[in-house]
Amino acid sequence: MSAALLSLTIPLATAMLLLLFRTRAGTVVIVANTASLVAAMLALDAVMTGAREQLSLGNWDAPLGIRFELGPLTAVLLVFTALIHLLVTIYAQASRHSKTRDTDFWPLSCLLHASLAALWLSRDLFNWYITLELLGLTAVAMIIISGPRSHLPALRYLLLSLAASLCYLLGVAFLYGRYGVLDIRMLAEVVVDDPGTRLAMLLLTLGLMLKAALWPLHQWLPAAHAAAPTAVSALLSALVVKGPLFILWMVWSTLAEPGFARQAGVLFAFAGIAALVSGGWAALRTPWLKVLVAYSTVAQLGYALLALGLLLYWQDPEMSIALWLFVLAHGLAKVSMFLGAGEMQATLGSRRVSALKGASQTMPLAMFAFAVAGGSLIGLPPSGGFIAKWVLLQPLLVEPSHWPWALGVLLGTLASAGYVFRVVTIAFNRADPSSPGHDPDTAAQWLAMLPALIVWAMALLSEPLILWFQEVGL
Amino acid sequence: MITTWTTLLPPAIVLSSLLPGLLIFSLREDQTRLRIGLNLFAVILKLGLVGLMLRGVGQGLEFRFALPFLPGGDLVLHGDATSLQFVSLSAVLWLATTVYAIGYLQDSPLQSRFFGYFSLCVSATVGLALAGNLVTFLLFYELLTLATFPLLVHRGTKKALKAGRIYLAHTLGGGALLLMGVALLHSLTGSPEFQAGGYVELLADAHQPSLMVAFALMIAGLGVKAALIPLHGWLPEAMVAPAPVSALLHAVAVVKAGAFGIIRVVYDVYGVDQVQALGLAMPLLAVAAATIIYGSLKALQQQELKKRLAYSTVSQVSYITLGVALVGPIAGVAALAHLVHQGLMKVTLFYCAGNFAETLGIHHIQEMNGVGRRMPLTMAAFTLGALGMIGIPPTAGFISKWYLGLGALEVGQDWILLILVVSGLLNAAYFLPLIYRGWFCGPPRQWPDERSLGSGLPGAGETHWMLLAPVLFTTVLALLAGLLAGSEVSPLAWSQLIINRQFGL
Repeated sequence: MSAALLSLTIPLATAMLLLLFRTRAGTVVIVANTASLVAAMLALDAVMTGAREQLSLGNWDAPLGIRFELGPLTAVLLVFTALIHLLVTIYAQASRHSKTRDTDFWPLSCLLHASLAALWLSRDLFNWYITLELLGLTAVAMIIISGPRSHLPALRYLLLSLAASLCYLLGVAFLYGRYGVLDIRMLAEVVVDDPGTRLAMLLLTLGLMLKAALWPLHQWLPAAHAAAPTAVSALLSALVVKGPLFILWMVWSTLAEPGFARQAGVLFAFAGIAALVSGGWAALRTPWLKVLVAYSTVAQLGYALLALGLLLYWQDPEMSIALWLFVLAHGLAKVSMFLGAGEMQATLGSRRVSALKGASQTMPLAMFAFAVAGGSLIGLPPSGGFIAKWVLLQPLLVEPSHWPWALGVLLGTLASAGYVFRVVTIAFNRADPSSPGHDPDTAAQWLAMLPALIVWAMALLSEPLILWFQEVGL
Repeated sequence: MITTWTTLLPPAIVLSSLLPGLLIFSLREDQTRLRIGLNLFAVILKLGLVGLMLRGVGQGLEFRFALPFLPGGDLVLHGDATSLQFVSLSAVLWLATTVYAIGYLQDSPLQSRFFGYFSLCVSATVGLALAGNLVTFLLFYELLTLATFPLLVHRGTKKALKAGRIYLAHTLGGGALLLMGVALLHSLTGSPEFQAGGYVELLADAHQPSLMVAFALMIAGLGVKAALIPLHGWLPEAMVAPAPVSALLHAVAVVKAGAFGIIRVVYDVYGVDQVQALGLAMPLLAVAAATIIYGSLKALQQQELKKRLAYSTVSQVSYITLGVALVGPIAGVAALAHLVHQGLMKVTLFYCAGNFAETLGIHHIQEMNGVGRRMPLTMAAFTLGALGMIGIPPTAGFISKWYLGLGALEVGQDWILLILVVSGLLNAAYFLPLIYRGWFCGPPRQWPDERSLGSGLPGAGETHWMLLAPVLFTTVLALLAGLLAGSEVSPLAWSQLIINRQFGL
């Protein structure tokens, strides 16, 4: 447990430090992220050998104090968060185009890291509220680094995020008034299925879905993620939207009574398929490169939503594994995609998809990173996205009555193939290539490729992870 | 796992082209010698390794390599008799095509990218041939799609990109269907290794509809690459690719991957008995027969040489499916032998078409008049290939058709003979005019676009030697496959061995 806490406190302390001294911020943050990653790995190692660990902060037991819990999923997510932060900050430090040097990116990214780590560790509705607020505010602050053009989408994101927080807080207040506890496990013991509780659950869900940009409450995401600086876009898509998703999954899988969960599950699953199709369609239509990548996030969250819905509908805990594999694979792939896209648009001097003509010649590495990451989003073997889709498909296919859901997955696959290869095909156009405004930055392109390579390697490393999750539960 | 050379040989065969391919990507355009050296080194290394495996399998050694991948489905590379048939074909044709491509692409841009993807494409093909279970097969099947796309759009023209989009729409859709089929079957039994006679027998009672749907999904997914109608639309478009790519695409890599997958699914996943019992053989047979006739009819209408050859592939590859779908031992032998025979003949024809286009600028059929006097060796090779396709004895094509006919009679599907005869006549109708024009019509005063690639004299100097040598090499191989069909080293004899195991003869 102490290692997990270290993984949280190192970025927090670094953020505080950077508020005071801003010399060599990039190097300091990279070192801090590395340390946090090592700590998270130690925590994961401890969980793998032992059982779940609990920690009551300041020795105050729940319901008075704050309880942290370190389970298998939390440990994996801590490693994942630290790894993504490390990859992105190295890129932000090394790339000529990242536009984050000498900005508030460095302390803010550490703060983001710390709030996510706290979110994964918390098991308390109000504590989650605090981490959500921190997450949302930090995210907005990071978007506006890129200048006045981003103010409008950032403001919209801020307002919606606040509204969502209020919704969530209202739900928490309902539950607290009704049961007098906020710790999720204590709540699960006393919760009953009545209209008040259902209303509270709906309020929580509304807030969380808005924050996680789950269909149909995703409208703010493409503009906000596309307007941010490249490194920030990567963090937002890979990590920030996954926080509320975690709470949503936790709340529904522990608090909802089976009958209610089944009803909601169908709705979630349909929303997931709608997200896959409509997000994919929007990504196929948009003329802007980063908006395309952002819409792909909307679509990919559809897989997670579908898995969550079917988890509730069938009360099948195996679906959780599919859900979190999607989150891991999507996070890594999306980092690569945003970094590759950012490098290309900065070098080629245009934010349009059509400016990528000939990019397979002029910027082969960045384009390759984009394509390889896209392969994982489509779910081509051997990639992390393929493994996740495979685990999701197995229960869908075993019973003929479940086959219509598999059709949704098929549609999602085809839609993602459509938007990924739309970009790739343009890149092979040699008729009239756009010439780079200045020399492509080779090192930065390699850094963009790295997460994509990791997500493909994930295919070969996932089997132990799946078996472990199946054995001990999440 | 104990690692010995027998476990490491299958991945070594895949890596022998994969690693050089990755190295080639990193080369600068002007490092021509290093690139050629790497290419040839990889080709020869792979041939040597495949030869080693052939000898080992002859001695009864088992080559198997496994990595954990999915619960219930490891990543397995396994060298059995069926895979060796395909691996040897790929390795030999890769040698010829590499030499051809080096000659063909001289002085053209982006060679490192081309040869990099070229090597990846062969690695994927070989991996697919060695795949020991469905999950592994699926993995390499998708990788093959990804590796061939850049080759197809290599020229980067509007037309090439359009063909590329059509190709992707077909193959990615097919890949998704195959994935669904494989995942469906996996959800019932996991993915055990391929075995003669299949592994679904125990499920047949409880899960009959699921098995049928899985079969239909897999065949549809594989049928895209094998160009079964109505999924063949990408293949005629794909002929905009450079000639070596077309040759590889039509002879080994893509269409054969589909046909080989159908062989695997019918023989080693379902087993002939179950395919028969589930009533799946007849629809497959009907589709294959329809494709044979349709492809030939369309070929007859084409005025562009490469397009005519492309439709001829649609027709000829379906002989393999036809042989498999007849679910009899003799037809099975024909199918497996035709996998090799068609590859050798078609690769020759595409090389010849490439030579005509590169040397004299001939793209259309009416431009072929008198080409036999200017390029007698290439035209002779073309003639032999075309006669093989028609099925004139003693060519390899005749052997395939003879056995197919016998196989059809053996299982009582006499109407297949009619299909074979009609298709043979149609083949003659679209190939004989070319042969006639080439030899017996007078040459034009000026060729459409003549380039000085060789000495310009008919014979050994009629074109660049790197374009001519592969043609002669594959022609001789195709001839030998027909003439020596009765010997022990022929593709036919090897197919007989595979089929004897399958049917327990």
